[in-house]
Amino acid sequence: MPIKKKERKVVEIKEERRKIQRNFEGLITQLSSESSTERRWAARDLAEYKEASSYLLEQLIKEKDIAVREIIISSLIAIGDEIAISGLINCLKSDDAHLRNSAVEALKQVPETIAPYIEKLLQDKDPDIRIFTINILESLRHPKVVKWLIEVIEKDENINVCATALDLLSEVGTEEATSAIKKIKERFQNEPYIQFAADIALRRIGEQ
Amino acid sequence: MNNRCLLKNEPEIKITDDDFEKFREYFYRKTGIIFDQSKRYFVDRRLIERIKATGHNSFKNYFIFLRFESSGKELQNLINALTINETYFFREEYQFQCMVNSMLPEILPRKRRGDIIKIWSIPCSTGEEPYSIAIYLLEYWKEIDKWDVEIISSDIDTNALDNAKKGIYSERSVQNLPRSIIQKYFKYLGNGYYQICEELRNSLEFTRVNITDTKETKRYRGLDIVFCRNLLIYFDDLSRKIAVENLFDSMLPGGFIYLGHSESMSRISPIFKIRKFPEAIVYQKPLEEDK
Amino acid sequence: MKKILVVDDAATVRMYHKKILEDAGFEVEEALNGLEAFEKALINDYDLYIVDINMPKLDGYSFVKKLRESENVQQSPVIMVTTEAEEKDIDKAFEEGANFYIIKPVKPEEFLNYCKLLTGASYE
Repeated sequence: MPIKKKERKVVEIKEERRKIQRNFEGLITQLSSESSTERRWAARDLAEYKEASSYLLEQLIKEKDIAVREIIISSLIAIGDEIAISGLINCLKSDDAHLRNSAVEALKQVPETIAPYIEKLLQDKDPDIRIFTINILESLRHPKVVKWLIEVIEKDENINVCATALDLLSEVGTEEATSAIKKIKERFQNEPYIQFAADIALRRIGEQ
Repeated sequence: MNNRCLLKNEPEIKITDDDFEKFREYFYRKTGIIFDQSKRYFVDRRLIERIKATGHNSFKNYFIFLRFESSGKELQNLINALTINETYFFREEYQFQCMVNSMLPEILPRKRRGDIIKIWSIPCSTGEEPYSIAIYLLEYWKEIDKWDVEIISSDIDTNALDNAKKGIYSERSVQNLPRSIIQKYFKYLGNGYYQICEELRNSLEFTRVNITDTKETKRYRGLDIVFCRNLLIYFDDLSRKIAVENLFDSMLPGGFIYLGHSESMSRISPIFKIRKFPEAIVYQKPLEEDK
Repeated sequence: MKKILVVDDAATVRMYHKKILEDAGFEVEEALNGLEAFEKALINDYDLYIVDINMPKLDGYSFVKKLRESENVQQSPVIMVTTEAEEKDIDKAFEEGANFYIIKPVKPEEFLNYCKLLTGASYE
């Protein structure tokens, strides 16, 4: 019978025993290893150390290997402290598209922790940051979400920021958003996309 | 008048076209499954069942609940209600064909004589999948006599594992199998039940595993092929990401992983390479040189 | 009938592009991020790709790069969809192999004309 069973014993896995100690200092050193596998393992194990946030962030910005990046992000989400969150928020401004978008996804996974930052982020000078913040709102279970979206479509000057808010309102919008949606149709009268998106939002809210 | 009379006069719950569209987009974003108009009746019925089962009286209220429930349990229930979950022998057989015709021929040149081919079925549920893998290899893989194969079957549910070890199945479960295979690998117990032969039952390893637990999955290494079908679709976004990263770690470079036919890595993680074989779409852990 | 893949994480944007194109007789499929788009491109042949930049899992630039590096997908034209703020970075898209860009939100006629032009459907 070529199908063989191997009795599995609970043993430390040999490949992961290595010359460097798997304590905090050792793991930090390994985070900059030449081997992407070792960097990945280090990033994974550092999830247990609250002090690891700043090192993980530093490596995240330099890291070119996608699998290592993804694990670093998982670890930052697991640690979820102020340093991790502010660091990820900073990544929203990165020139690296993959890094920015991964940061958005990561911040979506920590709704309670990101909530206090939302209002400030919605006022950021950079319209892309405001758009990303609205993307993050998608996962937030916060009583103010609809109000924030209404404020955006009432006051934001950037058309794509407003468009992103309208897109989310078509899923989470309630009656209280109706009048703001009608007003934005007037504000952007010559923009077919805004008319389209606003009509969908109104229909989904049940107001057409 | 008692409460039953009041219930009879309850207004019927309706799913409007706009409700359906809103729901469809949300469900597509979460699962990748698209419901077109032809599925309308099916979806509406199931939705209404869930709306009532969760004590809501309208789609609107139910949807808010669904979206924001932190445990994700209702989404899981909904996915369960909307997808077909039966397990049976040779389910999604084209993936086994792919394994034998396309994947193994790629894996073998990287192996040395005496190496073991390691395959992981997770979740194995009540065993139909790992036994199917074993039977398929024994029957259809030309190289089976030249290589040792280790099949690990894991699940989080110990009851399912116990049943898998017993290996007793109904007529329905084996109905896709050719008669000759049933005769060769099963013993008929009577009353429409079949049991996998003892030799095969003793050749598979059964373990309990929670794949979102990084510590538990660390014990699994060196996998050439992983079958993780129709499990991740029930997880929330973060658990899915973690599970897939754990599976990645368990695999050898160049190893392959299958998801269920309506599942995709596209909503989970970019760390795997997408490979299209004639029989199936499969995901591969990059070989070192790819990086 | 020409087939177009619309790639954007915003459902409303996909609907909008889809409507414009379907009304003009194109067959349209959707993907909500670059990974899904690449998977679809492996399975189906598309005559044109309309690609947003900021998307989860695989952004627009990375998708175009992956598309152009692959031997297993149809190498059709790519229109990058960018905000005005992103316009200054558009060289990145061309470096990876995009052919054209358009600023969002798009105006239906202009958008349709570019799509017709790039799919060779102008005279149909």
